[in-house]
Amino acid sequence: MSNIKIKSKNLNVYYGDKQALFDVNLDLNEKEVTALIGPSGCGKSTFIRCINRMNDVIDICKVTGNIEMDGMNINDKDLDVVSLRERVGMVFQKPNPFPKSIYDNISYGPKIHGKGETKSELDQIVENSLKKSALWEEVKDRLDEPGTSLSGGQQQRLCIARAISVNPEVILMDEPCSALDPIATAKIEELIDELKKTYTIVIVTHSMAQAVRVSQKTGFFHLGKLIEVGKTEKIFKNPDNKMTQDYITGRFG
Amino acid sequence: MNIVLIFLITIFSVSLFFYGKSKTKTISIKDNIKLNALPKFYGYYLVLWCSIPALVFLLVWSLFEPVIIKSIIIETAANQGAIFSDKNEANLIYEKIKAIHLGTYFGDIDSILKESALAYAKFINLFTNSKVVLIFGIIIASVIYSLKKIKNNNKARDDVEVILKGLLFVSSLIAILTTLGIIFSLLFESIKFFSVINIFDYLFGTNWSPQRAFVRDASSITAAEFEELKDAFGFIPLIAGTSFIAFIAMLVAVPIGLFSGIYMAEYASIKVRRISKPIIEILAGIPTVVYGFFAALTVGPFFRQVGENLGLTVSSESALAAGLIMGIMIIPYVSSLSDDVINSVPQSLRDGSYAVGATKSETIKQVVIPAALPGIIGSVLLAVSRAIGETMIVVMAAGLAANLTINPLESTTTITTQIVMILVGDQEFDSPKTQSAFALGLTLFVATLILNYIAQRAVKKYREKYD
Repeated sequence: MSNIKIKSKNLNVYYGDKQALFDVNLDLNEKEVTALIGPSGCGKSTFIRCINRMNDVIDICKVTGNIEMDGMNINDKDLDVVSLRERVGMVFQKPNPFPKSIYDNISYGPKIHGKGETKSELDQIVENSLKKSALWEEVKDRLDEPGTSLSGGQQQRLCIARAISVNPEVILMDEPCSALDPIATAKIEELIDELKKTYTIVIVTHSMAQAVRVSQKTGFFHLGKLIEVGKTEKIFKNPDNKMTQDYITGRFG
Repeated sequence: MNIVLIFLITIFSVSLFFYGKSKTKTISIKDNIKLNALPKFYGYYLVLWCSIPALVFLLVWSLFEPVIIKSIIIETAANQGAIFSDKNEANLIYEKIKAIHLGTYFGDIDSILKESALAYAKFINLFTNSKVVLIFGIIIASVIYSLKKIKNNNKARDDVEVILKGLLFVSSLIAILTTLGIIFSLLFESIKFFSVINIFDYLFGTNWSPQRAFVRDASSITAAEFEELKDAFGFIPLIAGTSFIAFIAMLVAVPIGLFSGIYMAEYASIKVRRISKPIIEILAGIPTVVYGFFAALTVGPFFRQVGENLGLTVSSESALAAGLIMGIMIIPYVSSLSDDVINSVPQSLRDGSYAVGATKSETIKQVVIPAALPGIIGSVLLAVSRAIGETMIVVMAAGLAANLTINPLESTTTITTQIVMILVGDQEFDSPKTQSAFALGLTLFVATLILNYIAQRAVKKYREKYD
């Protein structure tokens, strides 16, 4: 049994008057992939955005309860969000490379955090990140081309490389394959398998098959509540909850 | 007369609309046929057919009627024995005849004029009558044609589409032709100017004093006068003054406008934004003449006072005062446009930057601004062209003397100001002084064109890089 990396206790999230998450208690294991499934608007994305405090960007959003990473309270007001996000990277639904060169896309994070002071160190970080995200062979000869010139799947791997570049401990993925074709999706899934050796990964997905393929643990959300969580195998073969059963067999959602 | 005709055509077309609509409806019900278009399209079809040919005819007729009548009348007057040596005198006689006809001529009327005036009245009558008859003929013909089409259940919807496309095309054609007309009028007057003043003397001369050009007729210039004129129309001081004042204005407007735009787009709460944005935009609504007297009466004297206290000689009309006020005037253009551009940068880019741990200002500096750069450059260039074209503030606050200087505390002048100076008051239209205004206009036009071209190239280049 692996260690618990992130632990949420009675986590509630409100957007203005509307409550989006209700008392979520969820543990994420270190160096494992946890998949979050559930119908649209059920709070999966809201949950992972709590882990790197991305909800801070939204003015009307309020978070109560506890969420801890290695015993450190993420919701602490005095917490340095910048260093939190250095430790918890994120990949978004739609590939969002910066309108910069491929090289600058990757070196952006390290530069901000003062990593890679010399050019050669930075080159090394860029190369490593691209290798880890399985993009190096495809782009090594055109690092100065704009990141937006890549294909959708390549762009998403570029975004994964960007997240890796600051050497995080956790990577959050918010439906990373929803804008991609099946071949690009397969590549990303392969990559996730590889990345879990180094990183703790949380992936939000609408594809049940994807959850089965990539994750070891699965949580099912519905209407802001965590309905059931457990080993992926168990959730998909023999769920305890009737609602989970209905969702994974496609009866609703 | 024309107004009455237009009114009649309108009334007639509108009633045809209802006629066409209800007629086709009844036909379709009575004969139980499926119409090729909605009934209202048959209405539109009739309206367009009834009005457009008649109105076009009316327009063309009104353009040519005076010209034709004039040539006929001048010829009749000549036959009657009127004597005129050139076109101007012929025009004068024609104006007299017209005035007699209208009863507003108070000079002596000889028999030639009297006869011609009678002929004029006759022709006017004839033309008006035939105009009315022809217009009604055209309306009747086109209405009969379109009614027949409707009875055959034509594809009125497609036909209306074609006619509308034609109308839109004609509208853009008018816009283009107007532009060409303006360019050519600038060009021809400028050519006249450059036939007297050498173009190189103009472009590279460093002295601008058009009041020296008292010479009336280009053909009678003596060698001495030519030498005098040669260095009266030097363009350099004007372009220098224009660029200088615009530069000062941009120094004020770009940083303040851009920073306030960034604040509005990225930091201000909705409440602050809702109040402060309209207030900034009010700046753009203040008439430039108000800025002008603010610059001339408040800022200029203030600078002079400060300058005196510091032991500097500051002219009460200075490039600094004009440039500063112009800059303030331009702030809302830069701020409002860059605010819009920054707002349109997708949130996902900001999220991506935050997610690797960038702070807000790092995100703005390194992601948002570069992504918005084409638009920001665009807004700055719009502001530059506004600054170059601005006249009133400069007239009032920077002075009229064409000094070639880079001292912002001295008075200087701009191209537009000089055009105003040349064209106010009495002037001879064939003196080089007046024509120089057209040359200035043409140069300004070409300069702005080049600037716009460069701007578009720059924006395109950045866009390729960033989008």
